Amino acid sequence: MTDRDRYPGYDVLAKRHSLSWNDATRKAMDARLGVPREPRFLSQAEWATLVAICERIVPQPTSRPPVPLAGYIDQKLNDDARSGFRNAALPPQREAWKKGLAAFEAEARLRHDMSFHCLDGERQDELLRCAEAGRSDASAWDGMEASLFFSEHVMNDIIAAYYAHPTSWNEIGFGGPAGPRGYVRMRRNRRDPWEPVEAGSGDEARVRRENMRVR
Amino acid sequence: MSDDPMTTPRAMRGRAPDVFHPGGWVPMKEYPQREPVDFVVIGTGAGGGPLIARLAERGYAVIGFDAGPYFRPLEDFASDETSQSQLFWTDERLVDGANPLRLGSNNSGRAVGGSTVHYAMVSLRFRPEWFKSRTLLGYGADWPLDWQEMWRYYAQAERDLAIAGPVSYPWGPKRPRYPYRAHEINGAAEVLARGAEAMGYQWAETPLATVSAPRGESPPCVYRGFCRVGCSTNAKQSQLVTYIPRALAAGAEIRDLAMVGRIAVDAAGRACGVHYHRNGAWHFQAARNVIVAGYAIETPRLLLNSATDRFPEGLANGSGLVGRYLMTQSNQAVYGVMDEIVRWNKGPPSLTITEHWNYEDRKDFHGGYCWMAQGPLPVEWSAALSGSRRLWGAALREKMGDYNHQVGLKMVGEMLPHFDNRVSLADETDRYGLPIARVTYSWHDNDKAMIQHALGEMQRSLELVGARDIWRQENDTNHLAGTARMGSDGKSSVVDADCRSWDIPNLWICDGSVFPTTGGVNPSLTITAIALRTADRICELHRAGDLRF
Amino acid sequence: MANTASPDGAPRAALALLGSLTGVALVAALHSRSPAPATRPSMKAPAPDPAAANRAARRLNRAAGTLAASVLLDSAVEHYRGQFENRMMYTPLVTAAMALGVSAHGTMDQRQTSHMVRDTVYLLTALVGVIGTGFHLYNVRRKVGGISWQNLFYGAPVGAPMAIGLSGLLGYLSERVRETPPGQRPMIWGLPAGRAVGVASGLGMAGTVGEAGLLHFRGRFHDPFMYLPVAMPPVAALALGRSALGPTGEDRRATRWWLRATAILGLSGTVFHAIGVGRDMGGWRNWQQNILNGPPIPAPPAFTGLALAGLAALGLLEDHPDD
Repeated sequence: MTDRDRYPGYDVLAKRHSLSWNDATRKAMDARLGVPREPRFLSQAEWATLVAICERIVPQPTSRPPVPLAGYIDQKLNDDARSGFRNAALPPQREAWKKGLAAFEAEARLRHDMSFHCLDGERQDELLRCAEAGRSDASAWDGMEASLFFSEHVMNDIIAAYYAHPTSWNEIGFGGPAGPRGYVRMRRNRRDPWEPVEAGSGDEARVRRENMRVR
Repeated sequence: MSDDPMTTPRAMRGRAPDVFHPGGWVPMKEYPQREPVDFVVIGTGAGGGPLIARLAERGYAVIGFDAGPYFRPLEDFASDETSQSQLFWTDERLVDGANPLRLGSNNSGRAVGGSTVHYAMVSLRFRPEWFKSRTLLGYGADWPLDWQEMWRYYAQAERDLAIAGPVSYPWGPKRPRYPYRAHEINGAAEVLARGAEAMGYQWAETPLATVSAPRGESPPCVYRGFCRVGCSTNAKQSQLVTYIPRALAAGAEIRDLAMVGRIAVDAAGRACGVHYHRNGAWHFQAARNVIVAGYAIETPRLLLNSATDRFPEGLANGSGLVGRYLMTQSNQAVYGVMDEIVRWNKGPPSLTITEHWNYEDRKDFHGGYCWMAQGPLPVEWSAALSGSRRLWGAALREKMGDYNHQVGLKMVGEMLPHFDNRVSLADETDRYGLPIARVTYSWHDNDKAMIQHALGEMQRSLELVGARDIWRQENDTNHLAGTARMGSDGKSSVVDADCRSWDIPNLWICDGSVFPTTGGVNPSLTITAIALRTADRICELHRAGDLRF
Repeated sequence: MANTASPDGAPRAALALLGSLTGVALVAALHSRSPAPATRPSMKAPAPDPAAANRAARRLNRAAGTLAASVLLDSAVEHYRGQFENRMMYTPLVTAAMALGVSAHGTMDQRQTSHMVRDTVYLLTALVGVIGTGFHLYNVRRKVGGISWQNLFYGAPVGAPMAIGLSGLLGYLSERVRETPPGQRPMIWGLPAGRAVGVASGLGMAGTVGEAGLLHFRGRFHDPFMYLPVAMPPVAALALGRSALGPTGEDRRATRWWLRATAILGLSGTVFHAIGVGRDMGGWRNWQQNILNGPPIPAPPAFTGLALAGLAALGLLEDHPDD
């Protein structure tokens, strides 16, 4: 993919001390940024598989520190923070994730005689796509529906973790937390001074300077 | 402010949180558990909130129970989708059927104030004919209510919630001017308006329960756009900042973090109180009347969980209809990308609406729908995008990059009631040891026809305003209704027009579960209007000697 | 992406400078040479007094200056909010600043002749008011919904540019009064000046009431004080109209008091609006939002400017009875 920086120089964290953040937001974001980078719920082997899956679901550029996606999944499982509903065909999320990670590992061993996390990206993607389409080897999945696990957990949990992180907000030009200060200019092509500027072609340097001033 | 509202009840020792001041308190009356109060109301949302306030204001002794925490929005609410899931009902529920529902964020609250703490504030009236849709429109079921009477209660609800809406509303019979003026529309809402004009349909600013000018201690909306994960400014006129403070001032008690697990019935077959879990232990509160207002899943769950030898199928379930005729509303959407920068997350998410297809009957399916402008925050947006387009990997990040150019139209459509769509009890139990709900849902042909019609219309609208990269979100549903329908006899319904159960004269159900049909608009204002009517009816019945105390 | 840029840096500094200049000029204008009742000629003065004409002209300069100050700050805030999307949006700032300048000059100028620069600036200002009204109407009409409550509330305010137009008109009238030859009664367009100025101020006040009424309706008259600017100025305008069109020699004390009260109302409106800004979410700490979204602080003194013009008209009527 083209990793064109659409909002160069924009850092939503620069607004931390502005009126766009309140104490509750700062507390929540501190917790977000302080997520443990080591597994507490998953085993080391499961963790390695999870890290590899996260890297395929949301590949991240090498130009900046990556969002520690696996850490958020492990945290969610450790806290057993649920979404409020569960497809009756799936076990509770802790069990589902353990089963699912074991299944990917088992399939990698079955098909390639290697650990999932040691496969190259293309082969990992292929196994993920098989699960998505429900074409996985049922024996590896121990009765769990692979495509359901893929959509309800692999996609949902990992993608939600990424787009809850300030790094992703910089990437998509989201204004981030807003409160007590909200927004004034509501119409199209309007921008409040505390919102990022999108770069066009050739004006990156100017836009970068402007975005450095966004507070 | 060291207290954690998620783990320790706040409404205790004669005081309740003052929602308008960080760390503040207001005095609260407390009632002894052994002595029966006039009314126990289970749930403090769109149905429970007005009931608690109105009954207390009429001088009754009332306790409102809520399983959720008692927040002070100014100090407790972050501008953050993920951490604000603290507002949602996240205890497990099982979903199945051909089209399993998604619960949580858009239909299940768990806080004092209920889902109104995180709803999108859309406050619409039913089309009058919907109250008699079987007779007048040929589908669904008739309500035992008269629309003109409801029109009066809608007006009262709109005043109480200071709805900000257009000076004149283009659809339906005349209604009084909204108490507050409509908000400025944002870029995404403008796209709906331009599309509607191109199609020759009328559009309007959506009537919203967030103030456009100061009201008491609520400042006007600052357009931060986090409405659906809680308003941290109190501009939103949720139950938490409207009826609940009124209820406290009138002498009601609120018990937060109090999960009612069972309604008790005495030897005479009358409800006599509730068993509830609070502060780590089970308690019993005696009551002369019990009103269940837990919404379309928790209400039937509680009634079913309260089964006794005398009522083996659950309370108020002589008809066998408790949990049946569950309805959701179709919430499909069409999205597109504009060349201009839109920043659709600014302001309330649904600033404009067209109810064209709610009032136009020349169509080949039953029921109506409206559509509204959209402005999802990143996590919600990524779920819609990845879920509907099966996008992950680099392709997903690329598409997410268009966030600030994105626009969308989302329907709220009337799904028809079906006996097999239901809430029942699962074998699994929750943290209180209570069986959890199993929610079974399947779309039927009429539902699918309406969805396809709406998707086509919304897509045409986006095409007409020059959006590109248009795609359809085919799979979303939102609000709930049904499961304890009201009707005119005890065989075909659970409660009568006054929300009084046919089987147990002092057991009432007053929330979205009493809807026989769900209409093509967001249900909260109708729930509130029904609750206001029920409060009046209770007083009248009492005066007439039809209520035993 | 140039059109998404917000004014920053230089424009912001310019705004701050203009703002402080306006404040100083406003204070100076209000404190300079208040009319001395002792020198006022009796009701039936036999011969027109040229000093009286000059005094009336200077009062009109002061009125024009007050209006210009209000417009300068108000359009600065509103057009900053509109991100100066169109370069024309700087026009009212420039013309209002110039009108303010020449008004300050005129207020202090004791000479009996009009001044070419003042005259030109005032004419230009009046013209800008008319053109601006056209622009604002165009802006409202091209928005989706056209002439609708939504666009009247939140689009370019249709009535606002007429405030700068009125400032120019009052200044122009002031120059006409000033150039009255000694021994003659001030006349404008063949009318006695007092009557012409009275009618113009009365109509201006009616228009400003419409603007305040619209915006206070938008604000739902949530505070009872919000009824004052739609209740008091109409009475003052009617009284003024009656005095301007009525017979000479009638008792104008009530009119005078209504106008004085309206002048004070305009200034106190600023205080009310400032309090309103403080009550919005985040209060004055959140000034970046609340100055723009809260009640417009510089708008109410438009009433003061028009009331001052009305008082000048009353003075003219009394100094130069026309029958």
